[in-house]
Amino acid sequence: MIAENTQTQMRKGILEYCILSIISRGEIYASDIIAELKKAQLLVVEGTLYPLLTRLKNNGLLSYTWKESSSGPPRKYYQITTEGRTVLSRLDVTWKELVFAVETSLQGRND
Amino acid sequence: MNRTIIININSIVFHIEEDAYDTLRSYMIDIKKHFGNTAESKEILEDIENRIAEMFNERIQTGRKEVINLEDVQRVITQMGQVSDFEESEGTAVNEDFRHEQRTGQAPHVEYVGKKLMRDPDDKMLGGVCSGLARYFGIEPIWIRILLVLFFLLGGSGVLAYIILWIVMPIAETRADKMAMRGEEPNLQNFKKSFDEEAKNLSETFSDTGERHDRGSRTAGNLLSGCLGLIGKMIAWIMLIFAGLNLLGLFIFYVFNMMNFFGLENPMFFPPLKGLATNDGIIALTFGFLAIAIPFFALFFWLTRILFKTDKLNSYLSLTMFAAWIVSIVGIIYYCIATAQDFREKSTINVQKNIQRQEVYYFDEKDIRVLDASEQDSLQSKFNIQLDGQDLRNYLHSDINIYFESIDSLSQPYIQYSYSAKGKTYQLASERAHNIAYEAIQEGSTFLFPSHFLLMKNTLDRDQQVRVTVYLPKGARVVLQRSIEPKIRDISYWECLNNYPEAAQQKYTDWTMSGAGLVCVQKPQPVPEEEEEEEEAVKSKMKALLEEIKDKKDSIIRIDGSDVTIEVKDNSVRINTKKQEEN
Repeated sequence: MIAENTQTQMRKGILEYCILSIISRGEIYASDIIAELKKAQLLVVEGTLYPLLTRLKNNGLLSYTWKESSSGPPRKYYQITTEGRTVLSRLDVTWKELVFAVETSLQGRND
Repeated sequence: MNRTIIININSIVFHIEEDAYDTLRSYMIDIKKHFGNTAESKEILEDIENRIAEMFNERIQTGRKEVINLEDVQRVITQMGQVSDFEESEGTAVNEDFRHEQRTGQAPHVEYVGKKLMRDPDDKMLGGVCSGLARYFGIEPIWIRILLVLFFLLGGSGVLAYIILWIVMPIAETRADKMAMRGEEPNLQNFKKSFDEEAKNLSETFSDTGERHDRGSRTAGNLLSGCLGLIGKMIAWIMLIFAGLNLLGLFIFYVFNMMNFFGLENPMFFPPLKGLATNDGIIALTFGFLAIAIPFFALFFWLTRILFKTDKLNSYLSLTMFAAWIVSIVGIIYYCIATAQDFREKSTINVQKNIQRQEVYYFDEKDIRVLDASEQDSLQSKFNIQLDGQDLRNYLHSDINIYFESIDSLSQPYIQYSYSAKGKTYQLASERAHNIAYEAIQEGSTFLFPSHFLLMKNTLDRDQQVRVTVYLPKGARVVLQRSIEPKIRDISYWECLNNYPEAAQQKYTDWTMSGAGLVCVQKPQPVPEEEEEEEEAVKSKMKALLEEIKDKKDSIIRIDGSDVTIEVKDNSVRINTKKQEEN
């Protein structure tokens, strides 16, 4: 239970970081984000993504624009805001610190 | 061949097969349930619906495949992910337990603190009060019901409590009410759940129509409840009339008693109120009235509600009434205790009044309720002044005891008055004792004792007593009029009275003062009547004996206890007494 919880928490934090960094590369559609995350084996189902995107958007880190689609209804294309960029750069630092912290604490175990 | 349904997702129309539609629908319901409790749920749902529409659109090829089938739906669901997948990736420590419960379905009701006390119309015996209470305390209704029955058996207080709760507790009519009653957060998800449960119950109810047996028993139940309803209605009517008459009676009682306090004298006066001052009396009377009338009013109102299906009382009003009732009960208890406390201390004031020496002392009673026109200047006017023209009736007290004691034959005779009263403190008691007005009036050689004493200055009735002791020199002659007899203690007036030949007509008794108190002058009359009676008894005895020996021959009978023998010989009877034999 605790292990599961920790995993979920770790994954959740990383997931938001990854989504932010994917979107930071340029305007992108939700199903394309999924494709990327699937490749990274972080997320398997699309449904999970929408709440995350909505939350990030409501926190002002993302914005979206409606774009006509050749097939079907108009699509939401997400882009990162300036606030999102500052958060992302801070997360970059945090991530590096985390990697360092984790590697340092793992070192002793490798032998 | 399959039936298709036309659906509309985000204003795009799709043809979908029936089974595919069912699957999609239940999936969407699951998703809605899942996201239902977040503020941004609407947006998320829109995104998901949009994406589903897009995916459907991708799968449709005009001319070749125009209908969405089950396979398509399942594919979309796989891609979008099941609700359980969402939970896994989102699960946080905070709502982990909640999710767990939801998934296993073991605890379908999410408890939160803000429960509301309401009557449950879905689980009721009478008014749903018990089940409402049970909901509130999170226990099974049966325990509350058992408790209520116990209270009912222990003096019937349960009925009153039930009726009051019925009036006070609002009924959970709407779904939101019911959820508030169960303590669920009124969100979309819970709404949905509540609705689904209801639908499930309904479908379960309808699904067993095939079982005739069940149906039959239900109709029998209806019949029974119909009969009970009729009897119940009659009982309700009787109780309604009873409660109504009681209310009316109480109201009349209240009004007339109030009138007494405000100077409109009438014979309807509740005696215990005499023990209270006017102001306190008004409050105590009102408390008493409310304490009894409110339950009757509640009963009355409740019955009219049942019988005529009228609206229930405004909950503020009913709460106010309930509060007033409690206050009244407390008030009555207060007055009872306060009044009882006012009898704690006793004070006595002694006053001595010398009287003139005279040969014969006459004592009589003066009934002050009878006023002669000729006395207007003396007695009546005296009382009138003291009472400020108020009616004497409520201020008259007759707890008067008169004693006679002897003193040395040469001493000055005197009368001692002991005025006593009770109060919360000794001070108060003595003040009250001081306000007793009582004194004998001398008219020539006669001392007139008034029949009643008066309490001046509106003094409360606090067990006031007057003890009069008349000290007379030894050897003095005393004439006691018959009217004073009820007040005289320690001597046997009637015994003395019976010594007179015409006791019934005798208006007075003569006494002399001895060292041990008054002694009746009249000696007992000789009693000739008694001997006559004896003779009569002997005669009747003889008669009986003669009757007995009529058929016997040659026998001698001795009469017990006397010296008489009866000899029967040769059809003749001889009666011998000893005297005759001696002679």
